[in-house]
Amino acid sequence: MASQTVESPAGIGPALRRVVDGPAAEWAGLAVRLALAAVWGWAGLAKISDPAEAAQAVRAYEILPESLVKPVGYGLPFLEVAVALLLVIGLGVRAVAVVSAVLLLTFIGGISSAWARGISIDCGCFGGGGAVDASKTEYLQEILRDCGFLLLAAWLVFRPRTKLSADAWLAAA
Amino acid sequence: MSEKNREGKRNAREKMQEVRAAEEARTRRNKKLGVVGVVAAVIAVAAVVGVVVQNQRSKPETPTAAPVGTIGDKNLVIPSGPANAPSVLTVYEDPRCPACGAFERTYAPTVDQLEDQGKLYVNYHIVSFIDRSLSGKGSKSGANALGCAQDAGHFRDLHDVLYRNQPEETSDAFGGSATLIGLAKQVNGLDTPAFEACVKDNKYGGWVSSVQQDFDKTSYKSTPTVLLNGKPVYPKNGEEQITPENLVKWVDAANQGKPLGTTGPGKESPAPTTTAPVSNTPPSP
Repeated sequence: MASQTVESPAGIGPALRRVVDGPAAEWAGLAVRLALAAVWGWAGLAKISDPAEAAQAVRAYEILPESLVKPVGYGLPFLEVAVALLLVIGLGVRAVAVVSAVLLLTFIGGISSAWARGISIDCGCFGGGGAVDASKTEYLQEILRDCGFLLLAAWLVFRPRTKLSADAWLAAA
Repeated sequence: MSEKNREGKRNAREKMQEVRAAEEARTRRNKKLGVVGVVAAVIAVAAVVGVVVQNQRSKPETPTAAPVGTIGDKNLVIPSGPANAPSVLTVYEDPRCPACGAFERTYAPTVDQLEDQGKLYVNYHIVSFIDRSLSGKGSKSGANALGCAQDAGHFRDLHDVLYRNQPEETSDAFGGSATLIGLAKQVNGLDTPAFEACVKDNKYGGWVSSVQQDFDKTSYKSTPTVLLNGKPVYPKNGEEQITPENLVKWVDAANQGKPLGTTGPGKESPAPTTTAPVSNTPPSP
C-alpha cells in the first residue's frame, strides 16, 4: 500500500515531464507565442494612428512628468509592435517574454495606481485612453485581462522552447 | 612504460574533449548573448524610431492656419459676442458630445441673448476627443466645419444648428461632409463654394488637433466645461444648480456697475469683424 502511493507519482513524473517538455509542449508554446504576439501587435498598431491620442492616454495616468508623456506615448506603440514581430519569428523568446512580463507588470501597476487614486480613465491599452466618466471605468477587467496576458508571458519565460522558432533554427545551425 | 603511455593518451583525449566541450559551451553562450543583444537592439531601435516618426507625424500644437478672427496666443479660440462685454463665458465642447448637445439645446438661446444684449463675450474651444473613444471623425469634421463657418462669419449660427441636429453619440454622421454641408444650408448665406471646399478638404484639420492638444493639457476632463469669468458654472456654480434663469442672474451680478459691450448690428454673429486684439484669458474672479 505504502509503496504504491510512493511509486505512483514517481511513475507519473517522467510521463508528465515528457508531456511538458516534449513536442506537444513545444507546439503549445508556439500557440502561446503567437497569441502573445497578436496581443502586442494589436495593442501597438491601435495606438499608432493618432500620436496626440497616444500621448493623452499616457498623460491621463498623471504619473509621468509632461516631458516624458510624448516620448512614452510615441515610442511605446512601436516597441510593442517590435515585441510582436520578435515573438512571431521566435527570436530570443525567453528574453522577449521577460520584456513582455515587465511591460505587463508596469501596466498593471499603472492601472492599479489610477484606480487607487480615484481618477477615471480608460487604460488606453488598445488605443483610446484618456479621461472617461467615472461610471465607464473598467479597472478590474483591464487588470484581469493583463494578468491573463502575463500568464502567456510567464509560460514562455519558463518554457521558451517552441516549434517553428528562430531560436530552434539557430540552435540547430 | 606502455601503461603510462596509454594513460597519458587517455588523459590527453579527455583533456581535448573537455576543451571541446568548453568551447561548445562558450559558443552556445555567445550565441545566446548575441540573440539577447539583437533583441535588446531591435526593441530600443523600435522605440527610438517610434518617437522620431510620431514626432514628425503629429500635428503642431500651434496651428499653421487658423480660422479668421480666432483669438488667444495660438488662435485656438472662437469668440462670439462683443469683445468688450463685461463678462466672459468660456465653453469647451465637442460637436459629438451628447452632454454638450443637451447644454446647447437648453442654453444657446439664453447665451445668444446675453451676447446680443452686450452682457457676455463667449470664448468657444471646439474640442474633438469623442472620436478617440468611439472611433470615427465626427468630432474633428464638425469642429473643422465650425472653423469654416467662422471664416464665413456664421460660426454662431452653424454652431447652434449642429447642436440642434446632433446625431446619437455612437453615430458618426458628422464625419460625412455631405451631412455637414446639408445642415449648413439652414444658415442663410453660409453654403458657398468656399465653405464647401473648406469642409471637404478638412482645411482646419491641423487647427482642430491643436485645439484638442491644448485641451488635453488642461485639467478639465469632460465636456461641456463652462466657465463664467474663469469660474466653473456647469453643472453647478458652487452650490447653485445652473438654469437659464440662474445663468442670467449670475451674469447680471458679475456685470453690476460695469458698462455693457458694444453690440453689433442685428442678430448676426459679429465675431469675425471683432479684430481688436483681445486676450482669451478670462479676468480672474
